[in-house]
Amino acid sequence: MTFADFALPFLPEILVLVGVLLVLLLDVFGVKRIEVFGSITVGATLLALLFVVADLGFLPFAALSTVPASRIDIPLAVVGTPLYSFTSLGFVFQAIFLSATLLVSLASMSRSSYEKGAGVFYALVGMATLGMLLVGIASDLIFLLLAIEVTAISTYLLVGYTRRDPRSLEAAMKFYVIGALSTVISFFGASLLFGAYGSTNLYYLRSVGGAVGYPTLILLGYGLLIAGLAFKVTLVPFHAWAVDVYDGAPSDVSAFLAGGTKKIGLFAFFLVFLGPVLFFTTTGTSNPFNAGVLNTGPIFQIVLGVLAVVTMTVGNVLALMQKEMKRMLAYSSISQVGYMMIGIVIATSPAIAGATLQIFSHTFMKTGAFLVVAAVASLGIGPLISDWKGLGQRRPWLSIAFALILLSLAGVPLTVGFVSKFVLFSSAVQAQGYFIWLAVAGLLNSAISVFYYGRVLKVMFFDAPDPEPEATVAGPSPPVSERLSMGGLGYARASTIALIAVVIVTFGIFPQVILGPIQSAAQHFLIAGP
Amino acid sequence: MTTLAITGFLALSFALFAIAIFGILTRRNFILLLVSLEIGMNAAILNFVYFAALAPVNAGSTNGLPGQSIAVVLIGFAATEIAVGLAIVLALNRSKGSINVADSTTLRN
Repeated sequence: MTFADFALPFLPEILVLVGVLLVLLLDVFGVKRIEVFGSITVGATLLALLFVVADLGFLPFAALSTVPASRIDIPLAVVGTPLYSFTSLGFVFQAIFLSATLLVSLASMSRSSYEKGAGVFYALVGMATLGMLLVGIASDLIFLLLAIEVTAISTYLLVGYTRRDPRSLEAAMKFYVIGALSTVISFFGASLLFGAYGSTNLYYLRSVGGAVGYPTLILLGYGLLIAGLAFKVTLVPFHAWAVDVYDGAPSDVSAFLAGGTKKIGLFAFFLVFLGPVLFFTTTGTSNPFNAGVLNTGPIFQIVLGVLAVVTMTVGNVLALMQKEMKRMLAYSSISQVGYMMIGIVIATSPAIAGATLQIFSHTFMKTGAFLVVAAVASLGIGPLISDWKGLGQRRPWLSIAFALILLSLAGVPLTVGFVSKFVLFSSAVQAQGYFIWLAVAGLLNSAISVFYYGRVLKVMFFDAPDPEPEATVAGPSPPVSERLSMGGLGYARASTIALIAVVIVTFGIFPQVILGPIQSAAQHFLIAGP
Repeated sequence: MTTLAITGFLALSFALFAIAIFGILTRRNFILLLVSLEIGMNAAILNFVYFAALAPVNAGSTNGLPGQSIAVVLIGFAATEIAVGLAIVLALNRSKGSINVADSTTLRN
C-alpha cells in the first residue's frame, strides 16, 4: 500500500484540517476580515462534503470517490480489528455533520466584519468538524470517544469564546463541567469493557457479545457508557445542562451545537449499542446473570426505550411552558432526541433509516431555527416569544421561512420533518410487539409539540405588533442591523436561511432522493458492522 | 510471574471513580472540581493499566500493549481537557472575580 492509497480515503478530514490550519495561519499574520476566514471554512467544508457525497455514490459525483468500493461496508471476518473503517452509514452521517458546519459557517459570515476573534471562531468550528468526521469512520471504542472529545473540547471553547459576555462564559462553564463529567463516566465504562473483552474494537465487542463472561463488568461498562453518551445527546435525566448552554451561547454556536455536534452522540449510540441490543439476545437465556452467557438485549432495549419515551415527553412538556424562544427551541431539541432514540431501540434496518432521516431533517430544522433566532436578535428584537409579535408583517420572508421550519419540526406533510417521522414511526409499527407503544408515544408527543409551535406561529402572524417596536432598540449605538444589507440580515445569513427552507420543502416533496441511499446504508450497516 | 487478584485493584479504581463523581457533584470551587475530574480520568487510566497487565487472555489482544498505549494516550488527553478547564477558570475569574460555580446563576428558568 502506497502512502497515497493510505491517505486518499481521508481526503475530507485532510481538507477540513488544512482549512483550520490556514485560518489559524492567516489569523497569526494579521488578517482580520471575517469574510476571509468564513470563505476558507466554507470552501474546505464544501469540498469535503463533495467527496463524502461522492463516496456515497451519488451519480454526478461518483467518479470523484476517494475510498475504493472494496473498502466500504466490509464484514469483520475480512477486515480484522482496525481503528477505523468506512461504512456507508458513516458517510451519511459525515455528510449530515458537514452540512451543519456549512450552514453555520456560511451564516456566521454576516456578523460584523472586524469582530475580534473571528479567526478563532472558524478554527474552532473546523476542529469540531474534524472530530465529527472522525466519529463517522470510528470502529474502535477509544478512537470513538477521543473523536467525540476533539469535538467536545472545541465546542466548550466555542460556547465561551465571546468571553466578555458573562452569560456565554457561564454557559461555557456549565458545558465544560457536564461535558467533562460525561467524559469521565464514558472512559470509565470503556475501561471496564476493555477489562471484560481484552479489546476495544467495536466489531469484536459485537461479535463476542455476552459469551465472554464477566457479566457484571459488561453490564456496568455498557451502563456507564449509556450514561456518558446520554449526557452528550441530552437524554432526559441528563439533559439539564443543554437548555442553559443553548440559551447562553451565541445563537450561531447554539445552532452548531443543536444541529451539528449533538448528533455525534447519536451516531456513537448506533456504533456502540446496536451490537448489544441486536446480538446479545440471540445467545443465552432470559436471565441476565445466567452463568457465563450474558443476555443483555432485553435490558438495554427496555432501558433505552424508557429513556426515549421519557425524553420526548419531558422535553415537550417543558417546551410548552417556556417564554423565551431559545429555551423553547432547546427543549424541543431535547424532545426530538427522544424520537431519534426510537431507531436505536428497535434496531431494524427501517428503524435505523428512519432515525438517520430524522437526524438529517433535524440538523436542517434546528440549525435553521437557531439561525433565525440569531437573525431576529440582530434586528434588535428581544428574546421572549411575545417579543416576536407581528413579525409576519414586519419581516414577511423571514417569518415564512421560520414558519416552514416550525411546521417541519411539528411534522406537517410536504416537509422533510413529516417524512422522517413517518418512516420512523412506521418502522416501530412494523417491528410489532411492544415497539408499537414507542410509535404511540411518538405520535402523542408530536401532537403536544404542535401546541407550542402553533403558538409561535400565532404570535408571529396573527398578533398585532406593538405600536412602537423600535422603542425597545433605543440605545447609544445603532443596532447591528444598520450596517448590514438585506434589511439588516446580511446576505450570508439570509441566503443560508433561504437554503434551509428550500431543503426542507424539496426533500419533503422528493424524499426518495435521500431515502434510498439511507435505507441501503442502514442495511449494510447491520450486516457489515460498525 | 506471580498472579495477582484483580479485586483489590478494581476496588481502588472504583473508589477513585466514586470520589471523583462525588467531588464533581458537590464541589463549588472550580479548581477543586478540576481536581475531581482529574481523579476520575485517572481511575479509568488505572483500569486500563491493570487490565493490560492482568487481563483475560481469552480475548482478541494477545498481550497488554493496547491497554498500556491507551493509558498513555488518555494521560495526554486528560491534560488537554484540564488545560481548557483552566482557561475557562481564568476567564471566569477575570469577568466575575470569583471561581465559585454557585455564583454563576444568570441562566435560569
